[in-house]
Amino acid sequence: MDVYINSTGRYLPGKAIDNDEIENVLGLINGKKSRLKKKILKSNGILLRHYAMNEKQETQISNSDMAANAAMNCLDNSYLAPTKIQMLSCATSQGDMVLPGFGSMVQAALNISEVELHTSHGICSSSMMALKTAFNNVKCQDNENALVVASELTSRLFKHSRYEQVENNDIDFNAEFLRWMLSDGAGALLLENQPRPTGKSLRIDWIKSFSHANHFPFCMSVGQAKDEEYKTWQDYNSYAEAEKAGALLLRQDVRLLDNIVAIGVQGFLKLIAQGRVETNKIDHVLCHFSSKYFKSKIFDMLETAGASIPEEKWYTNLYQRGNTGCASIFIMLDEFIKTHDVKTGETIFCMVPESGRFNCAYMHLTVAGNE
Amino acid sequence: MEHMVLTSLGQKCLQSLLKVWLDFDIEMNQVAIVKRLEQGRLSLEDYQKLLLNLRQQVIEGSRWISRTASSFDRHYADIRSTVISHATEEHRDYLLLEADYVAAGGELTDIQGARKNIGSEALHGFLMYRASLPNPIDLIGAMWIIEGLGNKMATKWSKRINEQFSFDKNATTFMEYHGENDENHLAELYQLIDRVATSEQNVDDIIRTAKVVAKLYQMQLSEVDNV
Repeated sequence: MDVYINSTGRYLPGKAIDNDEIENVLGLINGKKSRLKKKILKSNGILLRHYAMNEKQETQISNSDMAANAAMNCLDNSYLAPTKIQMLSCATSQGDMVLPGFGSMVQAALNISEVELHTSHGICSSSMMALKTAFNNVKCQDNENALVVASELTSRLFKHSRYEQVENNDIDFNAEFLRWMLSDGAGALLLENQPRPTGKSLRIDWIKSFSHANHFPFCMSVGQAKDEEYKTWQDYNSYAEAEKAGALLLRQDVRLLDNIVAIGVQGFLKLIAQGRVETNKIDHVLCHFSSKYFKSKIFDMLETAGASIPEEKWYTNLYQRGNTGCASIFIMLDEFIKTHDVKTGETIFCMVPESGRFNCAYMHLTVAGNE
Repeated sequence: MEHMVLTSLGQKCLQSLLKVWLDFDIEMNQVAIVKRLEQGRLSLEDYQKLLLNLRQQVIEGSRWISRTASSFDRHYADIRSTVISHATEEHRDYLLLEADYVAAGGELTDIQGARKNIGSEALHGFLMYRASLPNPIDLIGAMWIIEGLGNKMATKWSKRINEQFSFDKNATTFMEYHGENDENHLAELYQLIDRVATSEQNVDDIIRTAKVVAKLYQMQLSEVDNV
């Protein structure tokens, strides 16, 4: 049974915000402009992004509503009636509610009935987990279709007021880093067990991922204060105490970050050895990577080893749409397919590394459909 | 660096070597002392012990390299020359380790008098065995791992150590040293790979040796905590 991505959609809240406007939306921590902003933005290269908050840090649209909007955008472009959706598979790093699961809230926002529900919780690769679950469901003929939605609303975590709660205003680099990396948005894919009657479909050939969580400490996190080794946010006497200790800040351990390249490439080489990837047969690469990693030595080595894919085949919309965490790959795929005249038989290789605790997901697609 | 073009078997070999290196790099995160080093939790005693243990392997390093050289017959005279020049370059590296050890507060007689740990014994044994066989082209695999480790030490470990400690005299000369001449070493290694990856069997042998050497290096570092 073949599984096809027959439609895609996205939702980006508000207008595109440029680098100079970011601090208007997120606010100035203790009224001071950030000294790190310029350097981090220069290295990640992002020029525009979207936020679900206004300049008073008031949430304008919920995470589940963004997800529903992306899903509707996807369905509007398809041949499937919403009442016929059999499975809903959702992903996010943090829903509006801690409980129930994000999928339940999105289903309610979409008002679709009796679907088989799945929620993936994680960071960037959680959307690929949600996609694989949906793919497997359709592949083994348990469901005829599945709607997969990934959405992120991280900007709420970056409000200046959150940082000002922390005792002694102890905001280190790792706690500020992601403020300049992540933004809001949602993407959706519709899977079906046959190609769409007109236009292009993307056949999912395979999805594989390799997690190295046992080899590394966590690299991106919410839930533990800076110099804490055991206590996590629920272990404090109150949320306020946890917040004061800095346990609720979104942190990135930048020192560990380089390891993501090693694990990403290691998995890629594994797939080549398994015969799943033939680099000279890949037409397009969609990779959720920030550009600076391309320059690393290991890419030179890959090239010498005949295992690299030329830069002109790589597509990204990271710099214009922002890094929207798990939604990124769907938003990328959506814009790619809508802006490129792909031909039947062309192949697309997708790669989603997650620095959370070093997981990397890979996917191989082939363009199908009538010319 | 100029883009090197390898033969297709050479490329296949390099792909596999890259994978072996990355597997090793990832596995190293399980080695207790490496974890402590990379996470900034190394004690001074830890660093001294690390240097002390490394020295016992490094002082033997030129033995397997020169043994390798003499095991190449006339058909590999060009490789013999390359290997000999490596031996010449590296046979005194252990002195850097001794100097670092003293700069880090250790006693010279201690590092000079210490024995190899269990992992070093195994590593040395394997290397000398393979180096003694005729035309041991598989040792390119060993060189690959060692080159990678040297690079890791220079680009990562020496920085971490100098962030944690401040020594009156430079105590990371050994680690830093391996960062120099990096580009040239790599280009040379690629040429060697092309030269010897001339059959599937050769490629398999090179990969096998790389895997074993990586595993034994890991053991050598794990054993530092047991000494």
